[in-house]
Amino acid sequence: MTPEGCGLKTYILVWLGLVVLTGVAVSVAGMDLAGWSTAVALIIAFLKSGLILLYFMHLREGGELRFLRWMIPGVLAILFLFTGLTFLDVAFR
Amino acid sequence: MSSFYEDEGRFRGILGWIFSTDHKRIGLLYLLAIFAFSAVGVLLGFLMRLELMAPGPTIMRPQTYNAIFTLHGVIMIFLFVIPGIPAIFGNFFLPIQVGARDVAFPRINLLSWWIYMAGAGLAVLSLFTGGGPVDTGWTFYVPYSLRTPVNVPLAVFAVFILGFSSILTGINFVTTTHQLRAPGMTWFRLPLFVWAIYATAWVQILATPVVGITLLLTLMERLAGVGIFDPLKGGDPILYQHLFWIYSHPAVYIMILPAMGIISEIIPVFAQRTIFGYKAIAFSSLAIAVVGSFVWGHHMFVSGQSDLASIIFSLLTFLVAVPSGVKVFNWVSTLYKGSIEVSPPLLFALTFIFLFSIGGLTGLFQGALATNVHLHDTYWVVGHFHYVIFGGTGFAIFGALHYWFPKMFGRRVGKKIPYLAWALLFVGFNTLYFPMLILGWEGMPRRYYDYLPQFHSLHLVSTVGSWILIAGLILMFGHLIYSLFRGEKERLENPWGGATLEWQIPSPPPRENFAEIPRVERGPYEFR
Amino acid sequence: MENHRNDGGSKLGMWLFLLSEILLFGGLFILYSVYRFQNPQIFHLAAEALNRPLGVLNTLVLLTSSLTMALSIFFLKKGSPGRSLLFLASTLFLGILFLFNKYLEWTWKVQLGIYPDAPRLLERERGEVLFYGLYYSMTGLHGLHVLVGLGILSVMLFFILKNKINHNHSVPLENTGLYWHLVDIVWIFLFPLFYLIT
Ligand code: HEM
Ligand SMILES: [Cu+2]
Repeated sequence: MTPEGCGLKTYILVWLGLVVLTGVAVSVAGMDLAGWSTAVALIIAFLKSGLILLYFMHLREGGELRFLRWMIPGVLAILFLFTGLTFLDVAFR
Repeated sequence: MSSFYEDEGRFRGILGWIFSTDHKRIGLLYLLAIFAFSAVGVLLGFLMRLELMAPGPTIMRPQTYNAIFTLHGVIMIFLFVIPGIPAIFGNFFLPIQVGARDVAFPRINLLSWWIYMAGAGLAVLSLFTGGGPVDTGWTFYVPYSLRTPVNVPLAVFAVFILGFSSILTGINFVTTTHQLRAPGMTWFRLPLFVWAIYATAWVQILATPVVGITLLLTLMERLAGVGIFDPLKGGDPILYQHLFWIYSHPAVYIMILPAMGIISEIIPVFAQRTIFGYKAIAFSSLAIAVVGSFVWGHHMFVSGQSDLASIIFSLLTFLVAVPSGVKVFNWVSTLYKGSIEVSPPLLFALTFIFLFSIGGLTGLFQGALATNVHLHDTYWVVGHFHYVIFGGTGFAIFGALHYWFPKMFGRRVGKKIPYLAWALLFVGFNTLYFPMLILGWEGMPRRYYDYLPQFHSLHLVSTVGSWILIAGLILMFGHLIYSLFRGEKERLENPWGGATLEWQIPSPPPRENFAEIPRVERGPYEFR
Repeated sequence: MENHRNDGGSKLGMWLFLLSEILLFGGLFILYSVYRFQNPQIFHLAAEALNRPLGVLNTLVLLTSSLTMALSIFFLKKGSPGRSLLFLASTLFLGILFLFNKYLEWTWKVQLGIYPDAPRLLERERGEVLFYGLYYSMTGLHGLHVLVGLGILSVMLFFILKNKINHNHSVPLENTGLYWHLVDIVWIFLFPLFYLIT
């Protein structure tokens, strides 16, 4: 992983992106999206995390630890399954 | 070349051990600590059986009994079987078997031993401080654990600390397996013990934090009254059970997978025949680790969880029995037409298969919804998990001790006494635990201090069984300790004719295992 | 004994630790989703009482600290430890600012009599008790992680000063960065779940 892999400019652009997405999240929260607002908020949160993971945490670059890229989605999938199975209980009591 | 016993490194004497980053020394540190704790656990079990020898008060008061079964469970689960095989044999042999000089993070390895000892120390401290010994059972179920006056906060904190140690060990093993394999050691040339420890390590990394947060919340509930699990404040105690079992069911795989790995090592060596279905065994470890993470609800069939959840968890529970079955069939097939030599390690391995099968099959009874309602929280469950944990993991540890003894200590174990000890253990074990299955079937609840007269005779038989079992334990460990000092010196590198890497270096191994990192050219079970 | 430095290994180890951290917080997120599912209206009302501008400010603070963290690593690897130190110190400062804001937020709430087990809180609806229970637990655990992060950052600052880590040996700082970014990511989820639900 060379430092050239991510230039100064990329970092600053990513940060700008993060700030803009935060702004979007806050303004969307003010609108009435009829039940969709949580979904939108979460999608924005995932986008922001994706930016951080890919650029700040260098998952985009791969290298010898390329398989790491699959771990985050893998762990999220496990977490969703945990949540989903828990909801099989709480939502159907 | 001098062995790792002589070459002390930076410090001398005892400091050369407790500050050593050598994976073999750390493995032996764990061995000492873990067996010391398990001896206490056995003693507590013995006391419980004495109390239950006859109905009514026998040797202790009810509150003492509650404290003893809790402590017995906490010691056996968190201090003995969960760390057990990975921390002792995984530490000692995983680096050697992959062809490395040490684990990936030797210092973190040492740290995790210290954290383990700190957790154990806190657990001991919890007995004498606050409201005294915990009486909740090892499961710390809310709301009782929120109300009981005993020292729950320190005890759950101790278990939290132990979990941290477990996570660090897991991280070490995954990284070691990925990064430090010797040239030529492809994934499918890894010994099955490594596969098993690897799969277990993932469970340690991914499941332990869930119980960590659960215990932290319980701690906060006690200290600050947050209310998340407290029904009086709107919390839902069933959610505690969900989070607890999200970890604790996978934890039973932390207990059993490494044991299965040991069996997969012993059987081919003593049949001198390559393992049947290498890939099936390797992948069934992963399958067990994955599917086993989604069956936790089978501990909660009568908790008030929804029927839909119960049905699905029951289905998943039956599914997870399949990969376990795959392994059993593979082991048995490996023996077929082998040139079998029933040495003590193999004898213990075969006993594992027998006892584990009983344990697994009784698990299926519990996994069926209708029977579970009848069996839940009875002695049947106690019988079940002793068959799997003690009959399974325990006997695998005994097998491993006899199998790797010459390599670890450079001494041989005598030829006769292990058979005698085995006979006592086998008879004692079944006399102790089989009556429990019947008792439970007949309705004897678990965690009870007293019982109805009709249960007396089976309880008596069970207590007698505990004496035979303990006699066997004393004989076996006494003999092992004797062999440690007086046993014949093992001069051979490979007394059993094994094909994995640990049998290609001196016994005991030198400080950094290999004079030169080996180049691996054949599989772990290709004999001659 | 030879030196077994293995940079790829250290990073893999760090990532594994982070996966573990995700599930540590994951347990709390499961609880959050269940309780919110059961008390949607109350959670909504309770969230309105949180200080949203302060939440937004803290989000920006942490995001910026992630940028400075990444830049600190960037310059260390480029071989300019001076600039690396500067950005590391900014990260440290932003982290402290975050905690200070949190401290303000918590104190205001406590002054209103809203804290775990407070009689005033227990008088309210069950859902609200749960909301604040989760609020304190989740932001508390997150805050604890920030605090630990600050400790590690200070150690790194010291190491760079002593030239113990430099462009040849930057993995400790990179791993610190991974941890810091993960803590940031957790906040990225906490923020909408507590301050933006409507
Ligand atoms: C075929 C595999 C297995 C099945 C189908 C199975 C099924 C079950 C079920 C349904 C229960 C809950 C009983 C109840 O409380 O009503 C249970 C309890 C238990 N099982 Fe298993 N099990 C299996 C293997 C194992 C293994 C391999 C271990 C450990 C090495 C284990 C350890 C335990 C323990 C410790 C408990 C009791 C937990 C408590 O304290 O409540 N089981 N098992
Ligand atoms: Cu289970």
